[in-house]
Amino acid sequence: MTTLKKKEQTFLIDLLDFQDSLNGNSEFVDNVRMKGADEVRNTPFPHSKDEEWRFISLRDLYSDSYQHVSVLEEKDPDLRDYFLPECANSRLVFINGVFSIKHSSVEALPDDIVIDSLARLAASDNPLVKEHLNKYTTFEGDVFSSFSDAFLQDGAFIYVPKGRKIDTPIHLLFVQTEADITYFTTSHSVIVADEGSEITVVEDHIGLGDNKYFNLPVVEVSAGKEAYVKHTKIQRDSQEAIHIARTSAFVEKHANYESYTITIGAKLSRNEPRISQRDEEVKFTVDGLVLIDGEQVSDTHSVMDHRFPHCESHQLHKCVIIDKAHSVFNGKIFVRPHAQKIDSFQENRNLLLSRKGLVNTKPQLEIFADDVVCTHGATIGQLDEEEVFYLKSRGLNEKQAKELLIYAFALETIENITVDSVQKLLVDEVHNFTERQLHSEFTI
Amino acid sequence: MLKIKDLHAVVEEDGSEILKGVNLTINKGEVHAIMGPNGSGKSTLSKVVAGHPAYEVTAGDILFEGESILELDPEERAHKGIFLAFQYPVEVPGVTNKTLLRQAYNTIAKAQGKEELDPIEFEDYVAERMEVVEMRPEFLERSVNAGFSGGEKKRNEIFQMAVLNPKLSFLDETDSGLDIDALKVVAEGINQISGKENSIVMVTHYQRILDYIVPDHVHVMVDGRIVKSGEKDLALKLEEQGYDWLAEIPSAAVNGQK
Repeated sequence: MTTLKKKEQTFLIDLLDFQDSLNGNSEFVDNVRMKGADEVRNTPFPHSKDEEWRFISLRDLYSDSYQHVSVLEEKDPDLRDYFLPECANSRLVFINGVFSIKHSSVEALPDDIVIDSLARLAASDNPLVKEHLNKYTTFEGDVFSSFSDAFLQDGAFIYVPKGRKIDTPIHLLFVQTEADITYFTTSHSVIVADEGSEITVVEDHIGLGDNKYFNLPVVEVSAGKEAYVKHTKIQRDSQEAIHIARTSAFVEKHANYESYTITIGAKLSRNEPRISQRDEEVKFTVDGLVLIDGEQVSDTHSVMDHRFPHCESHQLHKCVIIDKAHSVFNGKIFVRPHAQKIDSFQENRNLLLSRKGLVNTKPQLEIFADDVVCTHGATIGQLDEEEVFYLKSRGLNEKQAKELLIYAFALETIENITVDSVQKLLVDEVHNFTERQLHSEFTI
Repeated sequence: MLKIKDLHAVVEEDGSEILKGVNLTINKGEVHAIMGPNGSGKSTLSKVVAGHPAYEVTAGDILFEGESILELDPEERAHKGIFLAFQYPVEVPGVTNKTLLRQAYNTIAKAQGKEELDPIEFEDYVAERMEVVEMRPEFLERSVNAGFSGGEKKRNEIFQMAVLNPKLSFLDETDSGLDIDALKVVAEGINQISGKENSIVMVTHYQRILDYIVPDHVHVMVDGRIVKSGEKDLALKLEEQGYDWLAEIPSAAVNGQK
């Protein structure tokens, strides 16, 4: 056992000693790791003194010593409850960071799509991996991205060829099991939708226990010319986990990238969706729903980078905060010079249902073109007394009325998700969340 | 059915008195109209009967079927059969009319010891009630009042009333914001619902709706009191002469009772 150091300093760096042991399966990946490790050695980890991190404390992340997830014994949990019926044969499962052949199946998908574990493809020297890995990220100088590279092990790799429209949604299930050690795990997934293709991906992070671990998933997406990518992310990590995610998407001409990020789990979570417009005439959506209670902290720092003319972008980020939970939203909208005719919508709505909950919200617009429409807004509110009264006057009791209103508040961000079972699952999650709260102390 | 005795109520937030001694008796099967100028306390009276938390009753009592309801929560009053059609119905995006109505219907049915309806039974029941206010079936799948026009919201209130079948309904300015065709539909619906067992109180500015729904009693409220009660012709007189002539009258007998 390593003893805790008193001063605020991270043990994460110690993990680099372990990094070499991952090498040997793919020269390409080894090089990515070594480059990542070098970057980590030369980049300080952020602290709350840094502008981008000032609303949250990373003490919980830095004060523990972690072991790499690969020291865990192989586990084979029963995962049937977490499978989506639509994805019975279009699913990749990763257990504690390692691809599980047993639980994965891609039989429902056409043969010309490439979908596999990144590690397996890399080990067979697949040229697509070399071509696309780290091509669609915009996280230069970000130590967590480098850290992820330094421990690059596995993740999903999906390549949809030109013109291929796939109706069957794909489930990427990342499972963390219980463990008696505090561990660090990462995954790096790449989703490439080539010209005119369509794909729906559900990225699903699940913690089976209530143990502490540090999960660092990176997802990069390329929506090629005229492609349509629908990406739903559900974060249901353990209530003690730390989840720091990097998600980036490149959106090419006439393409559409739609993303919905649902945050339910983890003690501390940080999402950083970054959408980069790569050509004219694109659409993208970066909606989010956060349901947090207890002492959960959820931080979303998003970037919508409008780099070319004619773009329609949409961000509705909704949070329900109960107990001592803390929600942070920083939504950056960049409109570069010459990126005219941008129509961008951003709204952060917070339903703060307890006296001790906390919300920090900061829309941040940097606009360097003059013919654009950018609407943005942020609200923090409680349940409307008039609405509660209306429902009570129809016979609903306090609990039913509040539950219905919280449900109504949350629904707007999930009703556009096209996978029925995911919608149903989220409706259940909203129900459970509300139920839990209404049983415990609840003040409006 | 309802007996309001010397009711005084204040706005809880600032303590200002809105109701200053209201007396009113409503018997089973009766239709009443309460008229009066803006700010006279008509809407407040409806809300206080329904149990709105923004008001505090400081004196007097409200008896429903012989028992005081002052200590009851709004939902308990609804369970007893009291309904308020809101002047400004609340929008609940994301919750369909069907969901809310079934939940409301079953909650009230359960409280009254009646049988709850499963979704299929409820659909049959609701289809029949929809005809009362000429609602189209797709309406059920829409979110409660979200994006509705003023007239649609009012019609929805009457539709809810038709489904919940309350014993006593306060209709708070249900006629305002309705064009003449919508007014006829709503009035026709109210007439169908009202009967020997149900009582209705219409709170209104204008006598227009009273052309379609004939009240048994008309009351005039001024400055937090009912200052005059009469029959339908009183409404016509108010329409012609306004409220000024009543300002001098301090208080009046209601239904022959003081």
